[in-house]
Amino acid sequence: MQPYGNPKVKIKHKKLPGRVVVIADRCKGCDYCIDYCPRDVLVRSEGFNTKGYHPPKVANEDACTFCGLCERICPDFAIYLEHENTQRITIQEPRRKQNIEFFPSPLRGEFFMQGDIACAEGALAAGCRFFGAYPITPASEIAEHMSVVLPRLKGVFIQFEDEIASIAGILGASWAGRKSMTATSGPGISLMNENIGLGMMMEVPAVIVNVQRGSPSTGLPTSWGQSDMMQARWGSHGDYGSIALCPKSCQEMFDLTVMAFNYSEKYRLPVFIMSDGIVGHMTEKVVIPPVEKLKLVERKYTRKTADKYKPYEAGPDLVPEFAKAGDGYRYHTTGLTHDERGYPDMSEEAHQKLVNRLVNKIKAHADDIIILEEKDTEKADVIVISYGITSRLSAPAIAIAKKKGIKVGSLRLVTVWPFPEKRIRELSKRVSGFVVPEMNLGQIVLEVERCSGKNCTVAGIGHAGGGIIRTEDIVKAITEAAHGKKK
Amino acid sequence: MARKNKIVNPESHPMGDILRMDRMPHIWCSGCGLGTAMTAFVEGLKLAGADYNSTVVVSGIGCTARIAGYIKLDSYHTTHGRAIPFATGIKLANQDLKVVVFSGDGDLFAIGGNHLIHAARRNVDLTVICVNNFIYGMTGGQNAPTTPISAYSSTAPYGNCEEPFNLVGIAASAGASYVARWTALHTRRLSESVSTAFKRKGFSFIEVVSPCPTVYARKNRGGTGLDLLKEFAGRSVIDHTADPTKIPLDMDGKIVCGEFVNIEKPTFWDTVQAGLKKRFPNIYLEKKHMEE
Repeated sequence: MQPYGNPKVKIKHKKLPGRVVVIADRCKGCDYCIDYCPRDVLVRSEGFNTKGYHPPKVANEDACTFCGLCERICPDFAIYLEHENTQRITIQEPRRKQNIEFFPSPLRGEFFMQGDIACAEGALAAGCRFFGAYPITPASEIAEHMSVVLPRLKGVFIQFEDEIASIAGILGASWAGRKSMTATSGPGISLMNENIGLGMMMEVPAVIVNVQRGSPSTGLPTSWGQSDMMQARWGSHGDYGSIALCPKSCQEMFDLTVMAFNYSEKYRLPVFIMSDGIVGHMTEKVVIPPVEKLKLVERKYTRKTADKYKPYEAGPDLVPEFAKAGDGYRYHTTGLTHDERGYPDMSEEAHQKLVNRLVNKIKAHADDIIILEEKDTEKADVIVISYGITSRLSAPAIAIAKKKGIKVGSLRLVTVWPFPEKRIRELSKRVSGFVVPEMNLGQIVLEVERCSGKNCTVAGIGHAGGGIIRTEDIVKAITEAAHGKKK
Repeated sequence: MARKNKIVNPESHPMGDILRMDRMPHIWCSGCGLGTAMTAFVEGLKLAGADYNSTVVVSGIGCTARIAGYIKLDSYHTTHGRAIPFATGIKLANQDLKVVVFSGDGDLFAIGGNHLIHAARRNVDLTVICVNNFIYGMTGGQNAPTTPISAYSSTAPYGNCEEPFNLVGIAASAGASYVARWTALHTRRLSESVSTAFKRKGFSFIEVVSPCPTVYARKNRGGTGLDLLKEFAGRSVIDHTADPTKIPLDMDGKIVCGEFVNIEKPTFWDTVQAGLKKRFPNIYLEKKHMEE
């Protein structure tokens, strides 16, 4: 046996009785094995594992004496020696197919993740490969995360000179066939509204994330609010159908971003994600399913020949077929009122037809689009209608009111636009009152009032943002609404 | 009378394959230089051997921007001033496309000025053709950022008192890698310039000085379109060595034309890829860089 560590003795290369196995995804990058290996067999790899650590790799196998210190010292059971003649129990590890040299994204698994980053990961999982934005609190983290990951996924990240360019850029990229997204806050949306209208008129799929802050104007940059809800519906000039989704948690930042891409591809329009500073900057558990298990909707590309294709000829579903730039269709499209060929047409008939279709394509599919979360609404006297983070704020108030013996239900709007008129009208005939807490001074409450008419009372609890609605205010409103019935 | 009744087959025009003849006659006034600029552009594309299926034209708003509607390519008529970021999106999303922005001076330098200088700074691979008619034509002759000092316009009834932009100077200073200026009269040179710009990589900027007989000439007693072209012929000088920042345009001075800048430098996309390659030496970069 050769004396260990004696430099005078030349160690002859012997065929090892096995090999050193690194379970890369288990590694947490402590570097114990690398540091303590007496022969410097292991080095830190440049690539990342699924957790984002640099696992060790065998660099100098010839020097290995098969001493097994690495296996002993590894705190994470991520490295072991595999003897040729020993039969080990093989445990099925979820292994990725991608090259470890690159960031293993879209991620999968369970994470403790910020809402903004969950939103970016949702976009990546949905197939977003173009992101253009301008930094703005509290949405900047989305851009930062995209700037790291997107180029490694063969995507394009660009920080534009302003929000106006960002939205124009993502519309262009979408026409070239990429799923595109931008992320901003209220002030940015105000700048974007012009080209949001263009996106609606040209019918371009895209996703716009609004991480709302305290408004109006620059308002509370590092704080939160929900005061852009009407802007998502009526922001750009003119009539058009709009879709807006309101996530309440980091998990939903992921899930609803995927859903927003599906809606935008299916109905060909820019879709809003109306998050807010709380959800965006909150860090929670997020479970990311494997990409192949996500239900993704792709846009309807035309199969017609170039001479028969009309870019704005819509079938019974009112959504025209798509042809991307460079496909040889050589069509024209414009923000002017246009006919089916995409040519400008200044007639009243053309305008009526087009604008009606833009509104009706969302109205007609409202039942498919609208998602509601209802709890105890069937036997309720009072229903709390909330969306986004306010639904989590109202949960303790509902519990307190229930203890007081009031029959309270809750209705959460996952999709705020299109507004669930039908369901609210139905419920208004059965209940004595609706309570609508929201972090603005009365926006969605107006819609609830409109839909419920004189059927029941509607109490809005307004809060300008920057803080949270107090539980006792909600309890008080619920109690008042319940007593209203007894009179 | 016989001629009037004759049905003209729009496809029989030599440019019928690239112009939307079903939309002719176009909306531009008699004597306007835009039609000529457009012909020069189409000839330039032919000269460059462009693949029409992968050439995209993007425009903003204004008289010039209507060119997108008459050209039979993938053409996008976007919002006022936003043609360049829209085109940047298209180009970056699909590197195989050749993207041309065709718009006016008001669109590209007033409302869209910020986008232009930033695209030039980034050196995005775009060909930008800016038709400069010194005025806002479509809205009825209001002051433009190019209206010469003391010239009259609808919103400068006592003469314009603002110093105009020197378009080639701005483009060159902002970092454009190709800068040229021609008048609508220099059709052949303009075509060659379009062809050069189209074939090269990087941000190319071509200014086309064009007559506007209906508003600019009428307010400034310039006569008809033909008179203006004759005036251009007298005033223009070709000097490729001129410093683009020192050749502003005014009411009656020289119009210095030529190819002022033609330099090679890495485009935005080249720089992005070089950065990635440096950080991840083994990264697999496709030529198309598109998703599988």
